[in-house]
Amino acid sequence: MMHSNTHNTNQMMRQVIYALTLGVVAAYYFFGWGVIVQIALAVVTAIAVESAFLSIRNRPIKPSISDGSAALSAILLAISIPSIAPWWIVVVGVAFAIIFGKQLYGGLGNNPFNPAMLGYAFLLVSYPLQMTTWASEFLSFSQSLDVIFNLTSVDSLSGATRLDDVKTQLALGGFISNLELHSTSQAWINLGFLLGGLYLLFRRIITWHIPAAFIAGIVVISSVLYFIDDQIYLPMQNHLMLGATMLGAFFIATDPVSGSTTPKGRLIYGFLMGVLVVVIRVFGGYPDGVAFAVLLMNMIVPLIDYYTQPKVFGK
Amino acid sequence: MLRQSFSGGIVIPNPHPVETVEIISAPLPNKVVLPLQQRIGDEASPCVKVGDKVLTGQVIAKTEDHFCVPIHASISGKVVAIDEHAIPHKSGLKSRCITIESDGKDQWVEHKGCGTDFLHCDQSTMIEYIQASGIVGLGGAGFPAHAKLEGIQDCHTLIINGTECEPGIMCDDALMQYYPREVIRGVEVLLHICGAQRAIIAVEDDKQEALNSLLMYCHNDRISIEQIPTKYTSGAEKLLVKVLLGIEIPSGGFAIDVGVVCQNVATTKAIFDAVVDNKPLISRIVTVTGSGVESPNNYEVRLGASFEHIVSMSNPNTNQHAIRMGGMMMGVDVESTHAPICKITNCIFVNNIEVKPSTQECIRCGQCNQACPVDLLPQQLYWYAKSENTDKAMDYNLADCIECRCCDYVCPSHIPLAEYFSFAKALHRKTTEDQYRTDIARERFEFREYRLERNNRERAEMMAAKKEELKKKMANDKAQKDKIAAAMARVKKAKKSK
Repeated sequence: MMHSNTHNTNQMMRQVIYALTLGVVAAYYFFGWGVIVQIALAVVTAIAVESAFLSIRNRPIKPSISDGSAALSAILLAISIPSIAPWWIVVVGVAFAIIFGKQLYGGLGNNPFNPAMLGYAFLLVSYPLQMTTWASEFLSFSQSLDVIFNLTSVDSLSGATRLDDVKTQLALGGFISNLELHSTSQAWINLGFLLGGLYLLFRRIITWHIPAAFIAGIVVISSVLYFIDDQIYLPMQNHLMLGATMLGAFFIATDPVSGSTTPKGRLIYGFLMGVLVVVIRVFGGYPDGVAFAVLLMNMIVPLIDYYTQPKVFGK
Repeated sequence: MLRQSFSGGIVIPNPHPVETVEIISAPLPNKVVLPLQQRIGDEASPCVKVGDKVLTGQVIAKTEDHFCVPIHASISGKVVAIDEHAIPHKSGLKSRCITIESDGKDQWVEHKGCGTDFLHCDQSTMIEYIQASGIVGLGGAGFPAHAKLEGIQDCHTLIINGTECEPGIMCDDALMQYYPREVIRGVEVLLHICGAQRAIIAVEDDKQEALNSLLMYCHNDRISIEQIPTKYTSGAEKLLVKVLLGIEIPSGGFAIDVGVVCQNVATTKAIFDAVVDNKPLISRIVTVTGSGVESPNNYEVRLGASFEHIVSMSNPNTNQHAIRMGGMMMGVDVESTHAPICKITNCIFVNNIEVKPSTQECIRCGQCNQACPVDLLPQQLYWYAKSENTDKAMDYNLADCIECRCCDYVCPSHIPLAEYFSFAKALHRKTTEDQYRTDIARERFEFREYRLERNNRERAEMMAAKKEELKKKMANDKAQKDKIAAAMARVKKAKKSK
């Protein structure tokens, strides 16, 4: 039996990691070396935890490590957390993601939830302060190490994200028209992930269904809300270019293992997720909603897949 | 004209292309081995003994089963053995075969068919000739041709399948180039038998020469020759009907249900030979290809010759080889080149042994559902097949899987999906059969219980009735006795008083 030599699972994982580069470079440009240090910490933790768990489970270690899935989850989580978060945040988060998000279900292919987002959600509810304090300027390598390993206070270097800021201002009685909505750093980072996502589409690592539906979901719900009241709801373009929108659309929502797999199902899955992202951002208690939207949608994947089976030939 | 296609399927270029497609006539083999078990139906029983002399085309085994076709000697010579021999089959099991040693003369039995003006023959005579000549589907399925042609009503279109079923196979391409006249005449025979108004010969768009040669010999308005896109699984009957006519054969149905009859081009040529000359099918065209041979080619070879007989003509290299009969996708692995060529041997792949990529976990990437030509969700089926949850797999339309292995081919984790599916199908058949048997057994048991109970009840009722009767009778008897006693007593009294 022959196999197509265009893709194999390891190459697919690697391609996704490569595609993240642009977004990571943009994040580095605005936040400095912390971004890279977090990624390094995350990957080392992921490989260590995964190896340890595989050996406990008496499974071969090398094939699983070399498939790149643990590294990918770790990188996605590292990108999602602030670059100045203390080192133990990323270590605890990645360990949780690998152990509770993946290995306890039986490893790659068997996890019902996106491991990176499970880790993120765990960190966000457990350590909300550390998870919402972002670098406000470019930090050098030594500055980053100092902050990450708790040698200097972060206060002078940090602030809230634009989404967080807008949320707070609105809660304090502010109006959209008086607020600064734009964030150059966020826009560039989102653009980086958008381009990386288009590369994945071009290489046929992912299909267009989930990202397109995800973005459509955001556009539709935010336009409706903005139409209802343009003083308390953010316009659509800010929803698209703030927070983890593009990372979510192309890299997180498209995780095949925990996502829907039928063509129609992927449209529903992506669309509802986009809607949930905005709903959580606007009405929820957290600044961004991608992680929770992903986890909530993961739960109903079996249902979506069952009811969206394609029409079989001759039926 | 290029037709619109079905969703899914995969484009795979011929892995071992040749410059010009030819047919080389293989020399007469020294001996042939002819299996008694055909693809479908009962095992035939030999009608020759060891030591008998046979002529080419002579019937050497047959069955009572009308569905099956007789087996003919493919060379003239002497029957030297009737025993177990390895045959090319998935199971690797041996089967009973007749071995004939050639006398080198190739003397034929007499055979006479309808002749070239076959239109005066009636359909049933033609079908008889087709059966008697041992024609089965030569595309690889081996379905008896006469069984497909009998009792046809309401056939509007005849489709002649000139698509190679899989990449790498070239035997039908070669046949269309070398025997276009026979193919076209064969189509006319089939039109006559089916009563269809028109016939379409489907040729893939990468076989320009075959198309040209067919066009040159086709002077019949009812026969059209159409190009279809070269895509794997468009040779499958159901999909071909969809591509050409836009009709979807219902799930579980056959082509004839929508008024279509399909035959392969090689079968069509064999049918022509059978009807015109009543010439038995004793040879076929076989492609030899693969990474283990230097010059892939097509050979016209007698049935029963060993694989080795023609593989050796394609300059095999000296490596260890993996032998596969049929295509690279749906073919079956054969242990050695000593297996005999059968009617379904359209291709022999001789490959250098390669290390198979190791299987990884399914990541549900969904490439398989894009490749599936019948729009199944292989990743869901895999999940249920792996956990042996066959009911759920059947819910996801497992039964409609045609086992084309497109999903295997594209799977980035190299999972042998189709193997899981055929396993799940077999498991489902077994569980439903077991279920059926248990149901029958339970019904029988319950009926027995009921019968025993009924018998007991009836017996008890009968006994009760009898008892009652007896009691009555006894009571009656007592009354009688009493009467008699009373009478006696009266008599006694009377006597005394006298």
